[in-house]
Parts: sequence; C-alpha cells; structure tokens
Amino acid sequence: MAKTIFKWDYSDYPGAKIYPHLFKPIQIGNLIIPNRIKYTATEENLNGLDGFVTDQGAAYLGERAKGVVGGLCFMQGVYMDEARMGQGYVGQAAAWDDKFIPGLKRLADAIHDARAVAGIQLMDCGRVGAVDVEYGHGPSAVPQRLRIFRPMKEMSKDEIKEMIQQHIDAAKRGVEAGFDVMEISGIVGYLVSNFVSGYTNRRTDEYGGDIRGRMQAVVEIIQGVKTVIPEDMPLGIRLCSEELLDDVRGNTPEESMESYKIAEEAGVDYISCTLGWQESIYPVISRDIPMGNWIHLAKRAKEHVSVPVSMAYRLFKPGLPNEKIGAGELDIWEMCRPMIADPLMPKKVLEGKEEEIRHCVACNLCLARLFRDAPMTCYINPICAHEANPEFAAPPPAEEEKEIMIVGAGPAGLECAYVAAQRGHEVHIYDKRDEIGGTLNEARHAPYGDDELWTCVEYQKVMCEKAGVNFHLGTEVTEEVIEDEMPDSVVLATGSVYSKLEVPGGDSDKIVYLADVMSGKAEVGEKVVVWGNRKPGIGCALHLAKQGKKVTLAGKDKTAGFDVNPSFKWRYMIYMRQNGIVAYNDCEIVEIDDAGIVVKTYDGYQWPIKCDTIVLADREPNESLKKAVQSEGIELFVVGDALIPRNLSSAVHDGYRIGMRI
Amino acid sequence: MPVDAEKEITRLWKALHSAQDEIGKTYYRWRQVALEFAGDDVKSLDVALRAAEVFGKDIGKSILPRMNWLKGEEGFMMILGKTLAGLWITDGGLATVEKGEDPGEIFIKCTRDPWPTWAKEFGVPMEEVAICRERMYQSILEDVSVFMNIPLKIELQKAIPRGHGETVMRLYKAE
Ligand SMILES: Cc1cc2nc3c(=O)[nH]c(=O)nc-3n(C[C@H](O)[C@H](O)[C@H](O)COP(=O)(O)O)c2cc1C
Ligand code: SF4
Repeated sequence: MAKTIFKWDYSDYPGAKIYPHLFKPIQIGNLIIPNRIKYTATEENLNGLDGFVTDQGAAYLGERAKGVVGGLCFMQGVYMDEARMGQGYVGQAAAWDDKFIPGLKRLADAIHDARAVAGIQLMDCGRVGAVDVEYGHGPSAVPQRLRIFRPMKEMSKDEIKEMIQQHIDAAKRGVEAGFDVMEISGIVGYLVSNFVSGYTNRRTDEYGGDIRGRMQAVVEIIQGVKTVIPEDMPLGIRLCSEELLDDVRGNTPEESMESYKIAEEAGVDYISCTLGWQESIYPVISRDIPMGNWIHLAKRAKEHVSVPVSMAYRLFKPGLPNEKIGAGELDIWEMCRPMIADPLMPKKVLEGKEEEIRHCVACNLCLARLFRDAPMTCYINPICAHEANPEFAAPPPAEEEKEIMIVGAGPAGLECAYVAAQRGHEVHIYDKRDEIGGTLNEARHAPYGDDELWTCVEYQKVMCEKAGVNFHLGTEVTEEVIEDEMPDSVVLATGSVYSKLEVPGGDSDKIVYLADVMSGKAEVGEKVVVWGNRKPGIGCALHLAKQGKKVTLAGKDKTAGFDVNPSFKWRYMIYMRQNGIVAYNDCEIVEIDDAGIVVKTYDGYQWPIKCDTIVLADREPNESLKKAVQSEGIELFVVGDALIPRNLSSAVHDGYRIGMRI
Repeated sequence: MPVDAEKEITRLWKALHSAQDEIGKTYYRWRQVALEFAGDDVKSLDVALRAAEVFGKDIGKSILPRMNWLKGEEGFMMILGKTLAGLWITDGGLATVEKGEDPGEIFIKCTRDPWPTWAKEFGVPMEEVAICRERMYQSILEDVSVFMNIPLKIELQKAIPRGHGETVMRLYKAE
C-alpha cells in the first residue's frame, strides 16, 4: 500500500473547483502526493559559506512549504564533495558529511510543519561548480564557453566512482534528515547533464560514447541511491528534454528522450522535464519568452516514459498546467520563480484568491544575484530572503496610528500605501491621473513581455483595497491641499520628470516625452533619437523600431541598460541589434538643429545624428512638493523615482520599506 | 555650430592608428623586459613563442562564445577563419579569407602586416614575427578544437619579410 504522509482534503476550496486537476492526488513510486504542485529546488545563497543551513534559509523554505498546500516542496540542490568542486554557489547547502544532517533536518522539519512533502535534491554543479576552488570537474575537460566559470578537469574512473558514492552517501543523509522524496539534479549544465551531453562528455570508456554510455554514471547513481533509500521514498531526476546546444553539437532531442527512457529503466519514479543550459545561446525563462512556451516538451516526455512527468519553465498561471494535467500531457506543475515572487502562490490559487498573487515578472534578477555571490533577492518581492526577520516578513502594527498622505499612485506609492494601511494607519493616496500605476501605464507597452510588469500594479491595487486605502484619483496635490489636509506624514511618490536639454535648440519642437510616445499621444517621425540609455529608453527604442522607425539610442551611461541585470540585459542587446538600433553611449547632446542632434562622446568626438524626433527618456526626481511639506513641518518620506529615478523593483522595495517603517 | 565631419573623422582615424601602433610597440617593449629577466641563457625565440602561446590561449577562450556549428562544417570553418583574420585587421593589417579546394579548408591571406615594421624598430628578427603568429593561431585553435570536438590545424605557408607581398596561412581539419 502506498504511503500518505499528510492527509489533505481540498473539496471545500474554491480553487479546487476551478482547477480540479491541480488538486487531485498522484502516486509517485510508493508515495501518495495530495496534489500536483511542486516547489522546485532553488538555490538562494542563504546558507553559510561552510554549507550549513541558516535561520534565513529555513525561514525562506518554510514559507514556500506553506505555499504548496500539501504538495511537494524541495530544498535546494546540495553539493556532496568536501573538495567543493561540485559547489556552484557560495551559499549552497552541503551534504558531504554527517555534520550537515541537523541543518538538513531543520529544512525537512520546516516543510513538514506546513504539512507538505519534503524533497531533497542532490546537485553536483559540475561545469558550473567550483565557485571557490580552482578547477571544476566533469567527464571531459571541455573548455568553458563562459569565462565566469572555472577551467575543467577530466575525472578519472576512480573519481567518477567516488562521485557516485558521494551521491549515495548524501542520499543517506537526506533520509536521516527526514526527507520524503529524493531527487537528482541533471539540469542546465550541472554534472549529471555534463555526463549525458555529447557536448561535454567525450570519453571513450564505459562512461562515454553513445547515449547509453553517457548515461552510465547516471544509471549507477540512480541504482546506488535506490539501495539506500526506503521503499516508500520516491526517487526522481531532473533531466534535459532539449539542451538547446545545437550550435556546439549537443544532444539531439532523440538522445534526450533516450536518456529519459534509460533513467526510467534504471529505476527513477518520476522525471522532471527541463530544458536549456547555462551555456546555451537561446533564452528559456526570461520575460521575452511567452508563458507556456515549453509545455509541449512535457507531452513529448510522457510519450517516451510511463513514470510521472513534472515540469516548470514559465508556467506562471494555474490554467495551463491544470488543462495539461487534465489532458494527460503533464502530471505535476512545478514552480520556481513564481514562488520566489510569491511563496503562497498556489495556496492563493486554492483559496480562490488569485488576485492577491504577486506575480513573478521573469526578470531573472534572482539568478543574476546568485552568480554574483550575493544572497538572493527578488525584483518584485521585497520580503524574499527576509522571511526570518518578523519585522520585515509581517510588519507589526504601528505604535501610533497616523493619517498618511501618499502623493503618487505608481508602484512605489501603492506598495507603501497598503503596507502602511495594513499596519493600522489611515492612508490616503492621491494622483493627478485618473488611474493608478503611474508611468507603468505607458512603460508596459514596451515589447518583449513588458506588459507582464503590470501584474505588479494589479496586485497592489487589490492589496490597497483590502487594506482600506483611500484613493483620491484625478486630484493634484498642491501646497494648498497639504495645508488643508495637514496629514501626520507625507510620502512623496511623485516619480520623476524628464530632464530638460539645456543646449542650443533645447526648446525644439522635435522634442517629445517618452510617456507620450509610449501612450501614442506624441507624433513621432521616421528617424528617431531616444535620449536616455537606461531601461525606459531601451523599451521605447524597441517599441519604435517595431513600428519600422529608424531608431538611435543615445545616453550618458557607459553602456546601454546599465540598470538592467545581466541575466536579462543580454536579451535587450540582441533585440537592439535585431531591430537595427544604433547606440551611442557615454555621450551628451551638444546641439539640436533642423537636421537632428549632435552628440559628443566622453572623449570629445562629435557626431551628427539625423532625426525628425527626439524622445526624452532621461529623468530626474520630481521634487516639486518637497519644500512645501518641509515648510509645514510634516514628517516626510520620499520613495521610488521621486528619490532617484530607478526601476520598478526599486519603487516596490522603497515603498515596502517605508510602509513598514512609517 | 555644424559638425565638421572631415575634422572629426581625421581625429578618430589618427587616434585609431596611434592606438594600433601602440599595440606592436607595447608588445616589443614587454619582450625586452622579459628577455632581461630571462637572462642570457634563454633564447629570445623561446620566450617569444611562449608569449605567443599565452596570447593564443587567452584569445582562444574569448572566441569560444562565438563558435557556432549551426551552419555546418564549412560555415563554421569560414567563421573561424574570419575571426582569425579579424585579429590581424584589428592590429592594422589587411587580411582576407578564401575557401580552399578541400572541404573545410580555408586560406587566410594578409597583404599588409604592421608587425614586421614594429619588429624591425626593436631589432627583432623577421622570422620570429611569422613563426610567432603561427604559434599564436595554433594555441587559439587548441581550445577551439576541444570545445567543438574537431581537430583543427593551421600552418604558415608563405611569409614575406617586412610585411609586403602576401602571408598565407592554411586552416584545415586534421584527419
Ligand atoms: C534562483 C534560482 C535557483 C535555482 N536553483 C536550482 C537548484 O538548486 N536545482 C535545480 O534543479 N534547479 C534550480 N533552478 C531552476 C528552477 O528549479 C526551475 O527549473 C527554473 O527556474 C524554471 O522554472 P520557473 O520558470 O518556474 O522559474 C533555480 C532557478 C532559479 C531562478
Ligand atoms: S527576481 Fe525576477 S525572475 Fe526572480 S522571482 Fe523575482 S520577479 Fe521573478
């Protein structure tokens, strides 16, 4: 008889009626999982540099465990070698010795406290490893494509045997720590995938050759781990269904499917269908890739194996996974980033509170942080990685209830408003526009997925309404309004203003504002210069280039997209090239005339750029009300672009922090 | 105040040429330093060849992200040939790439090479220039060969002293 760890009955929940397939049980191996939801293993760099679990890590995972409402919740992949060649992140959890068991147990307990099924993942990072040592290890010493990774050493046969044993030993520790499910990570360029891929495995012994040979080490890991885990503990593996490495002669899709069959033969109880490699030139999970883009791969996987198939990858909304599970094309809905952005995401789905979900915007900042040895943060979720800090995670009621006036209903003002209102303040939010969202109303029209940014405002609106925030839209706050209202505190979330061009011709009628261009209000000629080379300027340049205009991007920053994290910036650079956008960075405008503009580079060269229209995207803080508030002696806070023009993330984080402090 | 395009381009052109000139001079200044430290027992050619290997190894790593098999073997060899020719062009040379008769065979031809001129200025033998470039390219190909799993070779076929005439290198896949 299959084992059930915690009993869950979803029948009374609204979400179970809307998405019945997500909330029905599934048997994996000899274990019944109450629903079809899985939080995937996620590195967060929150462990100690010595690999020990910390309070932060345990609290982070505990929150996600609540989110899966009885489903599968995985801790991050652990590295298993004392030599630390398999360690890919400075704060990755370790399992190379029994001394790590108590820490691992804390994580299993945190998951069980939420009555969820606890999974542990074994992950030697292979080519992506050796974060703190000189060499990485792999089946063959294929040079790294990306310089940030360490040079590679070929493993001897003895070293391969040792690595297999390390997996087995770490699995035992996982069992002892109290986990319920075991998983081997073979994704995106980590060691298991290095063995499987023809790109990185050039061996001619029994661990190389054709796909069977390249799977041999994996088969031995699977069979070895099976011998040390209980009968009712399922063993799964995450394996690439498409490596997206055609340009360097990686595996064919047929070989990948063969690897699935071999893993099944070797004894795995489920397969998590993954795709892409860190070294692949194709984007997989960034915002420019539409949601649901890869789901067909789960269907194909199911056509090749009979064990359950789980899959993540841009499945950010419950509808599609529910439909695919219902159609027999997927068994388990996996999520990583959706639950970084909102740990309770599936719980809210179950409870029929989807409008309260803070949606991931697929910016990949979380990943970029890991590769820069920094603890994880989330672009959109200010609480992420602060779960252990109660003041941050659940700001306590205000000691003194205040009447707060927030000027500006953009993302910074809205975030601040609901947090302050939840803490007991009387919050009034004003905006001269008739609608909320500030400049995101316009910015969201930028191509390549920026409409997804709007989910942030939708979430904030709901949260404000629930917290009882008073809206005063279409109301411009002036000195007189402040004098009349005399609130206890004012939060200026007034955003930014476009910086004037103080140069000859700076009053030219060729000049228009970015917001007017993005909303379609401004007329734009065929040849355009967008002035301001940060994210808003890039978004506008791409928006115009998509309309067939010849666009030049110019700005003061040394490189375009200085404010975009590197894990997303490369996408913009490619799109700019594809759309024929020429960029002049590190320059200033010295003159505007009938023909266009003259820019001067940092080293003094001057270039004429012909254009019919100049779009101003360069911004400075809107400080118009600062003096008025200060002169009344009212407590003043400034958030978002009104403080320093930055990005959506800074607006949200600023708003939250002031909301919890005020 | 309209931009004086001729003036701007002339300034840029001059700056480019003096930067290129510095490439060679800096290299040979460092060569002098290395030889002083190496002492009299070491042959200057050995030091220069070792430097060529170090250069090649590093350049090899930096071109890996651009290696691409999507256009098949011929396309790949052409891109690689152009990348190698591009290194010469960056230094101020005139280099072109031609397909050979054998499949995947590429000839890189340089008809104007600034390196012999710099070498002469520093009293460096002309032969060293040619052999070092060959060694540097060979070192570049070491990592590329392993990375793409294809045995690549390059050899100097013709070298003209003092940079006039034509220097020819053959890039091919070893059997
Ligand atoms: C910050 C971060 C850390 C990750 N860490 C792991 C890991 O430890 N093990 C693993 O198998 N996958 C890891 N992944 C991959 C995810 O589990 C998941 O497959 C991927 O993000 C795609 O799913 P999503 O679109 O739901 O985010 C990580 C992803 C992110 C963004
Ligand atoms: S940082 Fe960006 S990609 Fe990562 S979870 Fe947050 S919103 Fe999503």
